[in-house]
Amino acid sequence: MKKSIGYPVFFMVIVTVVFSSILAFLNYSTADRIDFNQNNKIRRKLLYAFNIQTENEDPQAIEDKYNENITEKKINNKTIYTAEENGNIIGYAFPIEGSALWGTVKGFAAISKDFKTLLGIDFVSHSETPGLGGRIDESWFKEQFRGINLESSQEGKYIIYNPKPGGNVDAISGATLTSDSVREFLNVDIEDFLSFAKEVNLDGQY
Amino acid sequence: MDNTKVRKIFTLGVWGDNPIFRQILGICSALAVTNLMLNSLVMGLGLIFVTSFSELTVSLIRKFTPKHIRMMVQVLIISSFVIIVDIFLKAYYPEMSEALGPYVGLIITNCIIMGRCESYAQNNPPIYAFLDGVASGTGYAIILLIIAFFRELLGFGSIFGIQVLGAWWTNWIVMIMAPGAFFMLGIVIWVARSLSPEDEESNKQEVAKA
Repeated sequence: MKKSIGYPVFFMVIVTVVFSSILAFLNYSTADRIDFNQNNKIRRKLLYAFNIQTENEDPQAIEDKYNENITEKKINNKTIYTAEENGNIIGYAFPIEGSALWGTVKGFAAISKDFKTLLGIDFVSHSETPGLGGRIDESWFKEQFRGINLESSQEGKYIIYNPKPGGNVDAISGATLTSDSVREFLNVDIEDFLSFAKEVNLDGQY
Repeated sequence: MDNTKVRKIFTLGVWGDNPIFRQILGICSALAVTNLMLNSLVMGLGLIFVTSFSELTVSLIRKFTPKHIRMMVQVLIISSFVIIVDIFLKAYYPEMSEALGPYVGLIITNCIIMGRCESYAQNNPPIYAFLDGVASGTGYAIILLIIAFFRELLGFGSIFGIQVLGAWWTNWIVMIMAPGAFFMLGIVIWVARSLSPEDEESNKQEVAKA
């Protein structure tokens, strides 16, 4: 083949255009679906944090339940989720975030309407070691955060791992760094949320 | 289609020239995703798809591709197919897409694909190139599944997420983590090479002759 500069450039342009068009088309045709999947995941996690059960794992059922019970509201640039059951507010959820062993852990925590109890937490994304820190996703770990009393704790130490005095949660054995990070950022985020709630008078907003 | 040729492609891809234990290609992903069998299976299927279709495309346009820019063209083709796999998983298997995380995107850098495109698809007709991709991908997937079988069984006591070992079993944490992958890969290469040592024998003879 002749070594001109024109042909390779022309060839490359054609190949690029062809493949880019295919990808652009695929991306466009699946965008809605991918978007729905991502929102569905967040809806599922929020429902879990509030401990609202859905009949099944079907995305449609989750969406219906979410729309029925949870409303999203932006207050001073913070997104707060409010859950209602039978017309009564049961609590508020807010995003939690912190860095753990390998990367950022993101999730939601839900607190009761009177700000006295932690209703539950769930994690949306993390990059912890599977089988070790990754076990923060397992329900035995997450279920421990249900109903933790926030009033009796001092100096912002809401989560304390057993067997320390006042301990309320078991850490994951073999994943001390992940466990510790989760405790740290949860304590900080809960503290922040409580003072934020007081500041904007969250009760009065509804 | 020539049957003996097809058979040769498959015996070479799956065993004789197995990408992992013969050519030591695609090791990074073999180490990374093998802690669960399901992840390994999806990764293997993704690789079979990308390798075969990349080889097919490279082979189809090999006569028109200017030789000095062929690498560029190959990378473009490979990455397009990888993005297709990524979009597909995100849209239809979001949980799997999450479990594999960045490794789907990293199929692009899997040396097996580029290696096969360069060494086979560049010089062979499309249908054989496609089959060569399937064969190499299968060779890769089988080794991944073997490694994952032992890592998941010893590390979690389960196979494909189904608990097979009872509560008496103590999980070997090391198997879930990176060192376990290195140990298993080493053992697999060792076993596979002792089962078919003839290659090295002939190499030695050639060296002796030279």
